Formats: sequence, C-alpha cells, structure tokens
Amino acid sequence: MSALHVTSRVAASLLGGYAFVWGFVTLCIALGLEWGAPYDDARKLAQLLAFLVFLACFCWAFAAASVARVWLVLAGGGALMTGVAWWLPRAPA
Amino acid sequence: MPDAALGALLLSAAVALAVCGMVWLALTMDTHWQQVRVDAAPTRSATVALRLCGSLALFASLLLCLRADHPTMAPLVWVLSITGAAVGVAFALAWRPRWLALLVVWLPAGRSAN
Amino acid sequence: MQQSFRQSMTWLHTWFGLVLGYVLMVAFFFGALSVFDREIDRWATPHTRFEPRPMPSYDAMLAPIFKQIVPEAHELDEARSRVGTLAPTLPVMNWAAYTTHRDPVLRLFAEFAITNNPNDPDDHVHGTLTIDPRNGTVLPHDQLKIGSEFFYPLHFSLHLEWKQLGYWIVALAALVMMAALVSGVVMHRRILRELFTFRPHKHTRRSVLDLHNLTGVVALPFHFVFALSGLTIFAGIYLPVSETMFKPQAQAHAMAEAKTKGVAFRPAGVAAPLASVDAMVVEAKRRWDARGMPGEVGFLVVNHVGDVNSYVSIYRAGSDRVALVGQAVHFDGPSGRVVHEEPPPSAVAGVNEFLTGLHLQHFKHWLLRWFYVLGGLLGCVCIATGFLFFVEKRKRMHASTGVSGARWVDALAVTAVSGMVLAALSMLVVNRVLPADLAGRADWEKGAFWAAWVLALLHALWRSAPVQQARIAPAWREQCWAVVLLAVSAVLLNWITTGDHLLATLGRAYWPVAGFDLALLVSAGLAAFAALHLRRRERQARAQPLAEPVDEPTTTSAAPEAVRA
Repeated sequence: MSALHVTSRVAASLLGGYAFVWGFVTLCIALGLEWGAPYDDARKLAQLLAFLVFLACFCWAFAAASVARVWLVLAGGGALMTGVAWWLPRAPA
Repeated sequence: MPDAALGALLLSAAVALAVCGMVWLALTMDTHWQQVRVDAAPTRSATVALRLCGSLALFASLLLCLRADHPTMAPLVWVLSITGAAVGVAFALAWRPRWLALLVVWLPAGRSAN
Repeated sequence: MQQSFRQSMTWLHTWFGLVLGYVLMVAFFFGALSVFDREIDRWATPHTRFEPRPMPSYDAMLAPIFKQIVPEAHELDEARSRVGTLAPTLPVMNWAAYTTHRDPVLRLFAEFAITNNPNDPDDHVHGTLTIDPRNGTVLPHDQLKIGSEFFYPLHFSLHLEWKQLGYWIVALAALVMMAALVSGVVMHRRILRELFTFRPHKHTRRSVLDLHNLTGVVALPFHFVFALSGLTIFAGIYLPVSETMFKPQAQAHAMAEAKTKGVAFRPAGVAAPLASVDAMVVEAKRRWDARGMPGEVGFLVVNHVGDVNSYVSIYRAGSDRVALVGQAVHFDGPSGRVVHEEPPPSAVAGVNEFLTGLHLQHFKHWLLRWFYVLGGLLGCVCIATGFLFFVEKRKRMHASTGVSGARWVDALAVTAVSGMVLAALSMLVVNRVLPADLAGRADWEKGAFWAAWVLALLHALWRSAPVQQARIAPAWREQCWAVVLLAVSAVLLNWITTGDHLLATLGRAYWPVAGFDLALLVSAGLAAFAALHLRRRERQARAQPLAEPVDEPTTTSAAPEAVRA
C-alpha cells in the first residue's frame, strides 16, 4: 500500500464521496420538484438521506478492489447526477 | 397521585424492568451464567425461560415509557434505558457477579461443570 | 484494497478513528456538557442564579429594550470588509426573543439590514442582549456564558470560524464516527455474544478492548443517531443547494410560503405602529390550548419591524416533546389579528424536526437528559479506549524496533482526554478567580482554556518517554491528579466567591449549581481512583515492560487481527 495509493483512496472517499452526494441531493430535489413536491420537503428529504449515502460511498471506497473504479463511480456518477439535476428544471416542459 | 410523581414511578419501573431484562438475556450465555451461578450452564428450559422473561421485561419497559411520556420521547428513554442497563450489567458481571444471582434464584440448577 | 472486506474495514476504523478521534473527543465531551449548558452558565455567572420563568410582557418590558440592541462589533467589521462603508445606523429587520424552561435570563436578538451589498440583497448583521426578565435589567455583555456560549459552540464548530472550517472538521468527524461504527460492527466477529463482556482483571490490552467494544456497541444507536442528526442540523452548510443550484427555487418557495401564511415577504417601506403583542401572546396560547397542547412561548419574532407589513410569529416551546418549537401562530403587526396558524408539519418536515429536537434536547425530561450525558460519556470512553488500544497493541513492537509512533499517539491521547478536561476546569477556576468587573473578562477566560490545553499537550509530550520502552506514561497519572486539584479548587472557589457552597445549594434545592458542584466532586473522585489505579499498573509495567500479555484460552474473538500497523 503505497502512500500514493492511500492518498488516492482517501481522496476518492472524501472528494469523490462528496461529489456523489452532491449529485444525489440535487437530483433528488430536481426529481421531487418535477413530481410536484414543495421545494422545502424535497430539500429536507434529500439532505436527510445524503449523509447515509455518504456513509455508504465512504465505506465502499475502501472496500472496493480498484481505486480507479471508485473514482469513476463516485466522481463520475456525481457529475452525471449533478448534470441531470441542473438540466431537468431547465428542460422544456 | 400528582402527574410528576406518577411519571417518576413509571420511569423507575421502566428502568428496573430494562435492567432485569438485560440481566436475563445476558445469563442465557454460558460464560455469564458461570460468573453468577455455581453450575456451568443453564438447562435448556431455563434458557428458554430466560429469553422469554428478558424479552417480556424489555417490552414491558417500553410500554411503561410510552405511558409516562409523549410518544416522541418515550422510545428515546427506552433505548437509552437499555443502554444504561447493559453497561450496568456488564460492570456487575465484571466486578460483582453474585449480585445478579438474585434475579435467577428461581431457576433450577443447570448442567454442572465437567 | 486489502484482501477482504473485514480487513479494509479494519484499516478504515483504525486510521480514520485515530486521526479524527481527537476531534470526536471534543464533540462528545463538550456535547455531553452541553446537555447542562445553561446550568453551567448559572455556575459561571452567579448573578443569574435565580429560577427560570416564562417570557415576560413584550409591551411593558421587551419593546423598549429591543430598541437598545446594536449590531455586534465583529460582525460590523466583517461587513465593512464585504461592502466598504456602512451607513451610520443600519435599519433593523427583525427582533426575536428565545427562551426554554431552563433559562432564568432571556436572550434577545436583532437583525440589521445591509442595503449596499450588490452580491447579496439580503445581507445582514446581528445584535444580541441578555436581560433579567424580573426587572428588565440588561446584563453586562462581557459575562461569558461558559456553557451555552463556549462549551456548546465548541462541540460543533471548534471555535474555528474562518470559512466555517471548524464546522467542516466536525462534520468529517461525524461521518467518520458513523463509518467507525459500521466498520466496528464488521470487525467485531461475535458482537452479540460479547455484548456484556468486560474483563477488567485481564491484561491492559484485553480489558481496554473489551471496554471499547462495550461502550461502542451498547450505545451504538445513540452514537449513530447523534452523528447523523448533527449532520442534518447543519446540512445547509455542508450541502448549500438553496444558495447555489436551486437558489431560484428556494427563493420562489420562500415567497410562496409567505403568501400562504398571508404575510409579506418584504417590508413595504411605510412606517406603522405595532399592535399589542401581549394580546397576541394570549391569543396564541388560547389556540394551543384549543388544540390540546397548552404551552408557553418559546420563540417570538417581530418581522419587518416598524413597517406596515410587519408580522409577529409566536412559537410554542416544545418542553413536553422532542420537537424544539412549533405550532406557530402568525399575527398581522399593525392590527394584531391572526393571519395564519401553522398546520402540523409534513412527514418530511416532521422527521427533520424530530431529529433536530432529539439532538438539541430542549425538552423537560431530566432522566432523558442524564441518559444523554451517559451516552456522551460512553462515546468519550469508546474513543479514549480506542486510542489506548492502538498504543497498547503497538508499543511493544515499537519499543523493540526503536520506532516512536506509539509514544506520540499516547501523548496526543493524554492531551485529548485528560488535557481536555484540564482545559475546561482551568477555565472554570479562572472564571471564579478573576474580578467580576474586569474588562475583557470573557477573553481572559477563553485564553485560559486554550493556554491550559497547550500546557497539557506540552506536559504530555514531555512525560510520555516511557512508552518508547513499552511502559505506561506517567503523564496520565499526573494529569489525573491535576484534574483532582482543579475540580476541587473550582468547588471551593465557588464557595469562597459566591457563598453558594454545596450544603447551601442543596438545602434550597438549587440544582443547577448544586448539581454542577457535585459533578465536579465526582469527577475529582474518578480521577483520583484512576490515578491510583494507574500507579499500580505503572509499577507492574516497570517490572516487566516487554513481556507479552498472556492470552488465556478464551471463547471470544481473541484471534489476532489481520492488519498490522
């Protein structure tokens, strides 16, 4: 376990995890708004679940076999979800 | 009886039941049974009785908590009573196991140590 | 990463637990103290040692006092750095008063608008005052409420306000706490079978691990829920969606909410007097009673002060339930009529309210509060025994290979455990020793806290060399004796400087001070017991430092852990 590997793993768990959670929260809110939920409720529900999701991502980041996969799923997935969440309210009805 | 006094009584009983429940559940395990009694392990029927009494005591404790407080607070009181009871039982088993013998004095002698 | 899931979780638990454990000690210890923050305030500010009472009359007492509130100096400085020059007097936006069933003194707040910020039209600064509700006297600003204004914020922000860095560090610690609980469960093979296992007579490594497992598992729901609820309380800081990606939606929602409530989102700019707020309070209480939940006012807000659009929101104190405040009734300012009575919250809002109220515990339930203290202290024991196990497990190997890692971890552990207690006690002692009217008294007290902690660190670093020979550092025992000395001194100083000795406070059943004095004495007793126990263990370790602990054949998971340091 080289220092580089450990650093990458830790960074993936925290930064990648945060990116994933941001994507999750914003996507939840965007979907909630699409389905007619009040903004406050959508936000509160998303924020309630966010930290459980972060916990899962964080633990998985260390359990997963490949760091590359962790980065891909967490950062990539986070970016994807954030993109959809950004686009959804702006999409033509 | 004034509300506050009734509440205090209910909660004391709830905590006492939580303690009894945890003692009984702890003593279903041979290691702990040995710390408290001379015999090596409880009989099979004693183990069943201990599990039953333990679970019933914890359930009764929850009911008393619900009777004493607002439904949002009662579960918190109950869960933390169990936490406190578990710590107390662990310490008793470590330092004064014989004190717990009283709660199982009604159970028959189990299998003796070989 | 590692060969197995259990091994990777062990790595996570060990290393993140070690690094963030120091922060978690602070969160758990000062969180536990915060359960009785207002009682500590009474001890630290003797002129407020009287009984709590409901909120006093707004019309008769509070209205003129609110007008005396000015913005906080440090907030004005920060505002100047944001916008340049400020108007000589800033218009007041709203006033608020907050009280709980444990507050003898009343806290008043004001928000002042900063109108010349192009980036943020809602920019504002705050002001606050504390008053004696019996007669309306404004209490001096410099009397630090050690409980609610120092220990309490310390546990969620570490008093590191720059860019809210402290909040983020505590958040990371909370996440790691949850991960440590999950990974701990994964690591602990026989978690139910060993639920009650505690063998204090075994060698240190075994008994420390037993205690670590015990305090971690039996209070697992407590630790997990408190970490999670703490994070959700400040979710707005960690996931600022309403200020960024969803700003328009958040704004639209706030405006729509105001419309549903029948209140104005912004002031009209036209002056108008306020109707009788006391009458509004009477009406609010009548409505709560009619809903089967009679209660006192917990939170009162006057919005758009002095404007024709002003409205008054009166919230019920949640002393009998977990939710903090609620069941608000909103009144039109100039006319005093009810414009909106809030319905029960939605399911999601209800869960959020429940978690927030669970964490902040303003309810009236002394048994549950003491259980919270128990949970907090169990968390501290869990973390501290984690450090001790880390050191115990590695110090023999480090001693034989000449590595000093275990020594430094041990020194930091001393600082985080007994050092932290010494810092708090020093602050209390200094609080009693300093003259009551000393200028900058609050700063002296805070300085004493941090200085004492630094001294404890230096002492720990100096007195932990024996760990490098796999013995016990005398730093632990010495700091325990310092705890005894300071705790007893604090109780004596309270007697000498206020006359409220233990027999007097017990005699008139003034529990805030009696309880805290008793807690100090119990702490002294525990520290003395620990010091004597440590002296015995130190002697044993001196006799046979490098001897391997005898692992007796047991039925427990004494299997050597797969991961090495």
